[in-house]
This record gives sequence, structure tokens and C-alpha cells, in this order.
Amino acid sequence: MTLLSVKDLYVTFRTESGIVEAVRGVSFDLGRERLGIVGESGSGKTMTGRSVLRLIRPPGRIDAVEMTFDGIDLLKISERQMRALRGKRIAMVMQDPKYSLNPVMRVGEQLTEGLRRRDGLRGAELHRKAIAALEAVQIRDPERVLRAYPHELSGGMGQRVMIAMMLIPQPDLLIADEPTSALDVTVQAEVLSILDGLVRDRGMGLIFISHDLRLVGRFCDRVLVMYKGRVVEELEAKHLMQAQHPYTQGLLNCLPRIGGDRGPLPGLDRAAAWAG
Amino acid sequence: MALIEIDNLSVTFDAGDRYVHAVQGVSLTVHARESFGLVGESGSGKSTILRAICGLAPISGGAIRIDGKPLQTPRGFDFARRVQMVFQDPYASLHPRHTIDRTLAEPLAIHRIGDTDRRVVQALRDVGLDPSFRFRYPHQLSGGQRQRVAIARALMLEPEILLLDEPTSALDASVQAETLNLLSRLRAERGLTFLMVSHDLAVIDHMCDRILVMQHGRAVEELDRDQLAAGAMKTGYARTLFNASADRMLDG
Repeated sequence: MTLLSVKDLYVTFRTESGIVEAVRGVSFDLGRERLGIVGESGSGKTMTGRSVLRLIRPPGRIDAVEMTFDGIDLLKISERQMRALRGKRIAMVMQDPKYSLNPVMRVGEQLTEGLRRRDGLRGAELHRKAIAALEAVQIRDPERVLRAYPHELSGGMGQRVMIAMMLIPQPDLLIADEPTSALDVTVQAEVLSILDGLVRDRGMGLIFISHDLRLVGRFCDRVLVMYKGRVVEELEAKHLMQAQHPYTQGLLNCLPRIGGDRGPLPGLDRAAAWAG
Repeated sequence: MALIEIDNLSVTFDAGDRYVHAVQGVSLTVHARESFGLVGESGSGKSTILRAICGLAPISGGAIRIDGKPLQTPRGFDFARRVQMVFQDPYASLHPRHTIDRTLAEPLAIHRIGDTDRRVVQALRDVGLDPSFRFRYPHQLSGGQRQRVAIARALMLEPEILLLDEPTSALDASVQAETLNLLSRLRAERGLTFLMVSHDLAVIDHMCDRILVMQHGRAVEELDRDQLAAGAMKTGYARTLFNASADRMLDG
């Protein structure tokens, strides 16, 4: 079943030095599965994710032939209707906890803001839910974290707080923008298994945006490889090592490997014509 | 003889109501021209060891010796000539209101080394940047270019030891490859000694001859490169790290 359908998506910014096309004709369908979007900085992967939530500020604009979520035309609905979807049905975990958490609000307050305002929860019930949400992302001392300000948390902790916050309303679609890049490998594995469980048990759809091709290859069902705003290759994650496109191959080859030879790592050929 | 000797080092931070034991009784030796890696998760104390060497963390026990001599406190000019550090985040470690020229010329001015013009231009060339970058500000550079500037700055005084604190973890994969290649080339050309910190076992394996795995401020296991490649670790924690390492993921 298709949860999200995107056809021919363009994100353009009108700037003083002309029009910048951040996303150029991206199309994909997402079921209740894990879709990875991979690319380097500036490839348009984050903009693609944000477009789904219409989180592109002017002068940026979104154009698409189709962008439908669960039968709802995301291009047509009002801002008010869009707000009702955000968080509750489509949630996004932002990249950097340093900038995405409110620095002057205790973690507990911002974590439970939705529960208080949307669900009207109070007191012990609220506290219990907040603790449970933090425990679900493997935070060991949730009581301390609830009382802490974001600057008192490490990057990995902040990232987990954001994931916990986004998962509380049990969204149908989660867009995770580099959710694990600030995490240690073992914590990363834990967070991935949490996300994995949600896709499997609750049938959540997941868009996993990352620059780490190997991680995406291991974790996702399907992978879109983006370069300069375009999808250059779409493939089943399990066939990642057989990638045909030179850009995908370049991304794979420039990573060091344990036990690999220690000669210079191959660079990435960015001059090629497929950048088009 | 070992160039860097760390003997039973402990670092304790006073956090007001309690003490945080960031590093507890860690010993290691790095030989001249060797590349030594420290791996572990956040909070394992690996960066704190580098900071303790530079005098940026309070040493509560043990000793650090460079070339057999205990370090002076404060570290002083001689230390800066021999040991330099490259920090993790090139967005935070360069002064946002100083031009690249000023950043690179400052160590020369402090140490009263002349010939600034030629040295700054040469330093940019050495790290693969065009001399036209000289009068730009950090915000006009990409992350990879900034990290090249940070490396150039560390090399201005021609040190023999570079302390590298996650030098590529803020960079894209392809830019990481370029930066690692640059560091390898500079080490070969100048006979540098590296003490490098990373959470990425594959990066450490690519760059280092020997590694020390750390957890909760303690040394867990020391491995050489062959042992790592063969997966011949003895402790459960080192094995967990090895198994969770991203580059193992596609082999599974």
C-alpha cells in the first residue's frame, strides 16, 4: 500500500544571483517500509524531506505534479490542515539537536508539550509517559534528563530526546534527517532497532536521510541516491554493492574499511556529465 | 624510545556536587613517527586524553612525558613548537572574525618567526588550498576547506606531533577521504607522529598502526592493526564496537 507518493518534485529558491534549484524532479513512492535517501551535503536530500511537511520557507517554493499522503493532497490543503498533520501523522526528526531543541526550555517541558497541549495530559500520567518515551530510546537516567536543559546533554542524548519527542504521537510517517550521525555506533544500533521495530510492529513508513551509504544499505529496504538535486540511482538496499551508477560506486569506494589497504582513498569524480 | 609516554593518567573534573572521573589510570606509549589511535564512544575519555596533553584538562594523577621529559605547566612555547592539535569541528575551531591569513599568521607572530608572507602561502599550498583563500573568512569556506585550514594552522610551527581529535567526523564521506589522504601524505612527508581520536573504527584502522579501545574513562584493550583486521580482540566491549562498525554492515 502506498502511504506517500511524490511525483516530479522541484524545490527552487529565488535568490539575488538567480534561481537555485535544490531539488530537481524527484519522484518516489513509499509504502510502510524504510526508504533511504543518501547523498552528500547540498544534494537536496534534506530539502526533499522537508518538502513533504511543506517546511520550506519563502523565498523557497515547492512544485510537484503530485504529493499525496494517505489520500490527502499535500499541495492543496491549507496551512491549518497541514499543521494538523505535522507531528501527529507525519513527524520529522531534525539533524542537529543543538539547533532543533529549544535552548531555554527544560527537556521535560518540550518533550511533553504535545502531550499537554494536544492530549491534555497532566501530573503523574504525563510524567509516566515522558519517562517511558525516554526509556524507549535507551536513556539510562530519564529523571535527570527531564530536568536538564539541552546544553547539559551530549549530542547523542539530545538526538535521542528528539527521537523520543517525535515518536510520542505515534506518527504514520517518520522523516528522520541524519538521526544517528551524532550517535556512537552502539547507540546508533539501538536507535536503528527502535525505528525498525516501529516500522515492523506499527506499520510506520520511514524516510531515512543520511550521508552514510553503508548504514542506509544495511538498515533500509530501498535506497535513493541523490546528487545535485536529482535521484541518480534507485535500488534495493541489498543490491547496494552491485550499484551501477559511478556516483554511487564512488560514494561506496571512498570509505575506509577495516583491514583494507592503506593507500590513498579514491576521490569522488564530481565533474561527470550525469550531474546534468 | 617512546616519544609520548602516558603513565597511569587520571583526569578528574570538579562538577560542584560531585567529581567526574573522565580518565582513570590510562597508560600508553607512542613511538616517533608512529600513528596511534584512541577509539571509544562519547564520554569514554579519549578526547580528554588529548586535552590533558595540551594542558586543557585537569590532570589528577599519573604523568605525561614527551621525549622522556615531564610536561611543564603551563605548557609554554617549546611545547607548542613540538605538539599541535586539530579539533573536531572546523565550524567551531576557527575564529569567525579572523581571516584565514590572520589565523595562520598568529602562531608565527607569537613565536616571533618572520617570513610570514611566504610561510602562509606555502601552508595553504601544502594542504591543497589555493592561495586565493588567504583573505577569506571561515564562513566563506566549506567544511572540508575549513578543516584544511585547521590542519594548516596546526602545522605552522612545524611540530613533530599532531593530536587529531575526530578530524573528519564532521565531514562528508568523499571530503573525509580527501582529508584522510591529506593527513597521510603530510605524515609521510614530514615524519609526523599522530595521536588520533575517532569513534569510527574504520577510519582509525585506515590511519593508525596501533589502537587503544576505551570505555568509561578506562583503557579496555590495545590492538595492533593485524589483530583488528583479523577481528582478534579479546574483550567483549572491543568486539561489540567491531561488530557495530558501519563498514562491517555490508558484509553481514
